[in-house]
Amino acid sequence: MKFLKVALLSLVFVFSACDHPFEFSVYEANVKSKQQNTTDKNLKLLESILVESKDFKFAFISDVHFFYDQLKTVINDINKRDDILFVIFGGDIADQALLREYEIFHDIMSSLKKPYLTVIGNHDYNNNGAIIYKKMFGDYNYSFEFNNNKFILFDDVVWESDKELDFDWFTSELKNNTNFNQVFVITHIPPNGDQFDDELEQKYRALMLEYNVPLSIHGHTHTYNFEEGDVSYLTAPAVKQKAYNIVSVKDKSFSVELIEL
Amino acid sequence: MKIKNIFIVSILVLFFSNSYAQETISVKEKSWYVPDYVKTQFAGNIGLISVGVGYQLFNEVLYSELLYGFVPESASKADNIHLITIKNTFPIFRKEIGENLTISPIAGFTTTLDIGTNSFTTLPSKYPDGYYFPTAVHFTLFGGALIHKDFKKPKIFKGVDFYLEFGTVETYLWYAITLKEVDLIDVFSADIGVNFYF
Repeated sequence: MKFLKVALLSLVFVFSACDHPFEFSVYEANVKSKQQNTTDKNLKLLESILVESKDFKFAFISDVHFFYDQLKTVINDINKRDDILFVIFGGDIADQALLREYEIFHDIMSSLKKPYLTVIGNHDYNNNGAIIYKKMFGDYNYSFEFNNNKFILFDDVVWESDKELDFDWFTSELKNNTNFNQVFVITHIPPNGDQFDDELEQKYRALMLEYNVPLSIHGHTHTYNFEEGDVSYLTAPAVKQKAYNIVSVKDKSFSVELIEL
Repeated sequence: MKIKNIFIVSILVLFFSNSYAQETISVKEKSWYVPDYVKTQFAGNIGLISVGVGYQLFNEVLYSELLYGFVPESASKADNIHLITIKNTFPIFRKEIGENLTISPIAGFTTTLDIGTNSFTTLPSKYPDGYYFPTAVHFTLFGGALIHKDFKKPKIFKGVDFYLEFGTVETYLWYAITLKEVDLIDVFSADIGVNFYF
């Protein structure tokens, strides 16, 4: 059976050449073990970065969907800048939230020479995306400290998540704000975004004001917007535009830069 | 390993179905809706395992099949996945390679509908018009080879096909073609299957 041999040989070839020799469905959530717990891994990397001064910079990119080539351009640019210490990604990692899309994102981000952290976007919830995100990255809500500044990453996806926003957790994270130089909040959907009704928007803005958050950072709208005030609101451009933001943090202030490639 | 077992069973069925064939049965005129063959397939983005019926149409130019595919929780790492698939296969030509044995290069496409709960065909009312494209329907494209064996003295089955294919999904193919960062080889995966003719 010469042909059977050829068939079996081809199978062996596919097993060795492809990421996935057999695929059962686009909706699989079978995250490879080496791509799991990305948030934890990056938080560990972040711990090893020591800063002499109170000033530092981080980059904020958002909404890749399927614009992977543009993502690569942005990542290459960030790699060239030594002053950027880490990157925060503002959600919509995937478009249909298929495992394949998450994997392509993860592969490209592995070429980033700095730690990166993510917040979940509405597109990331599609299909089995919520399960994939949890496995590949980690918790939807989490916070970390860097150089005596606090960063709170809050899942504020309303429609796709089918759950109430966890304002109890959010408030408890904001409460110890006075222990830090500044507290930054990162969520995918801005308070004036389509998924927030007036009540939710007021609630969110009141919290920012109450706990002296200087800057609330978002994606979702695909348009750069910087609204300065007691609480400033930044929405980043989409990766598609080969653009991103740099936030320069100082002792008790910050500044925002728009980079267009 | 479950996957391995399925693979081995399919191959055993292929080789030993011969030995059960003894007496001929009289050929009856079939109604148009009676399928020409039953089938099962492993992988191919239409289920871990899929089963269904097939018709040879237009003088065996097109093999058209209706399949139900299933991915258990243990493989999907999410909920069970249920898929309904229409698969169309075109044998490009047939080459005799032995007694009652032919090989054909094949190509075709499938249309797959997810009948689970995580996807939708019409946008749920909570979203504004056009917020999302429907997520429940996907297409796959594939090419491969099919070996057909006719049994001379069929008892249950008149013949059997064994096929191996390499395929991809429309979204993946689109990414691979339009984006430098996604390689074509990476988006293809294999599937195997058997058809039993009666």
